[in-house]
Amino acid sequence: MNEDRLRALLREAPVPGAEEAERRGRRLAEAAFEQRQPHRPQRPAWPRLALSLAAATLLAALLLTPAGAKVRDWVDEALTVGVDDAEPALTEIPGGGRLLVSTPQGSWVVQPDGSRRLLGGYPEATWSPRGLFVAAVSGHMLSAVEPDGTVRWSLSADAPVTDVRWSPSGVRIAYLTTTYRTGSTLRVVAGDGSGDMLIDGNVGPAAPTWLPLGPHLLAYVDGEGMLRVINSDTGETVGSSPASRDAVELDWARDGSRLLEATSRALRLRDVAVGKLAARLSLGPARRVALPIDATVRTAAFSPDGRSLAVLLQRPARDRQPAHSELYLMDREGTSQRLLFTAPGLLSSLDWSPNGTRLLIAWPDADQWLFIPTEGRRVRAIGGISREFAPGSPERAVFPLIDGWCCQR
Amino acid sequence: MGSDSAERKLVREAQRGSREALTDLYAAHWRRAHRAAYLVVHDGAAAEDITQDAFLAAIDALDRFDRRRPFGPWLHRIVVNRAIDWSRRETLRRTVDDADSHADASPSPEAVGEDLMAALGQLPVDQRAVVVLRYLLDYRPGEIGRMLELPRGTVNSRLRRALDRLGDLLGEAER
Repeated sequence: MNEDRLRALLREAPVPGAEEAERRGRRLAEAAFEQRQPHRPQRPAWPRLALSLAAATLLAALLLTPAGAKVRDWVDEALTVGVDDAEPALTEIPGGGRLLVSTPQGSWVVQPDGSRRLLGGYPEATWSPRGLFVAAVSGHMLSAVEPDGTVRWSLSADAPVTDVRWSPSGVRIAYLTTTYRTGSTLRVVAGDGSGDMLIDGNVGPAAPTWLPLGPHLLAYVDGEGMLRVINSDTGETVGSSPASRDAVELDWARDGSRLLEATSRALRLRDVAVGKLAARLSLGPARRVALPIDATVRTAAFSPDGRSLAVLLQRPARDRQPAHSELYLMDREGTSQRLLFTAPGLLSSLDWSPNGTRLLIAWPDADQWLFIPTEGRRVRAIGGISREFAPGSPERAVFPLIDGWCCQR
Repeated sequence: MGSDSAERKLVREAQRGSREALTDLYAAHWRRAHRAAYLVVHDGAAAEDITQDAFLAAIDALDRFDRRRPFGPWLHRIVVNRAIDWSRRETLRRTVDDADSHADASPSPEAVGEDLMAALGQLPVDQRAVVVLRYLLDYRPGEIGRMLELPRGTVNSRLRRALDRLGDLLGEAER
């Protein structure tokens, strides 16, 4: 083969979508550049050494002398994490709506005035779209439960049930069954408990997500790492594309035009176009959202109106900055990013208020829930959360999980 | 990039926070890096992802970057090695996946309409990578060897085999 001809062919070969890719890449690069924190010049070593020696001397005094005990208490107090002016008890849900909360004792419904009711011994639960029911899980059992605890129906699966998702129409429920030996399977059952059927016998760990509007289209990642969208009524695959095999979270924007894939290291967004009668669906290429290179994605979710994306990141200790968590608010393209909140340690859970004006974040180390407004107003922190869901328990209770923030009734 | 010194100046200014310098570095390197990734992986979405990933890594490491070293080879090394990794994973995946599921995501060589793409697609990924580094990005075999951590002789033999195979394939297409 003539080398000059090969050079010319390689330089002239068309690259599909090159200009659009370049524009998207430039936006990402500029966003990443804006976010980067330039490294400060290192100080000379000797003052750090002197400080280290002084700190070691102080530590020895704290550990070894009686007088150190009192000082140790002061230090413990100073190092306690959490928002300073946290409210001591949950007396209302800022922003309204109702919460679904899971503890080892079971699932709880929290009313707008902060009052709560134990639904039953369900370690996992999810709201129906209008909050009229809860789909609750206990081992192999999936149940539809009214918020007062009345069980409407139950079915028993052949393996433990997880990751239940109620369709926006309210008439279908998707769920996974998982065993260590066989992996996960995806099933769908009607909202009245009838017609339970297998959708895919080998799926990845990400919970499925429903198209928010129109027909019963369900997106999931199969066991081979393909993102698939299936019409659960017909069983027909209407769209597919390679996805991240290690995707842990999927979310569909409210208007159905964007699909989010999250792995522990990356967020990707892709355009979705639903064809006439939803017989075919086009999945665009996955575009990576610029994130700090050392960030671990904890969770991400579109706002109820689909215009914003909230992302919770964990950052490792680096230079003189300790390990911490960051909450970002992004536009639906992931390009415009705003840091809403940052805190030392680990934040977990991320739920939008039904009206999309607040985010609820859990801070287990501080035993606090944080209600963070997306615009302007101050963060409201509620402390003592563990005890709120372990009444009468003498020892420190387990910090609860938030399973959903639902609509007003 | 006009010269190494101009590039070093851009890197220095970007390190000091100049967005314009970053934009210039991006403009100087994106297209060739993206083309290189595409020619190795033959998948538009993957090529974009790989190139984005390389630029994000470059931006993150900007403050630690040694300005005496050229920026392009460092970026190309990341791009081509990630493209090779992606292609190997994809080959493994294709052995267990149905063929039509891939038709959605990756344009076939025929759809692109280039005999070259079809011929490149028939080379093993290791040979595609050295062809791209040698004949698109103009690196010498010794430099390619350092980038891919291969002996220079291995690079030369892969280039020889790739050229022979491409000659056969493109010759057949022309008949």
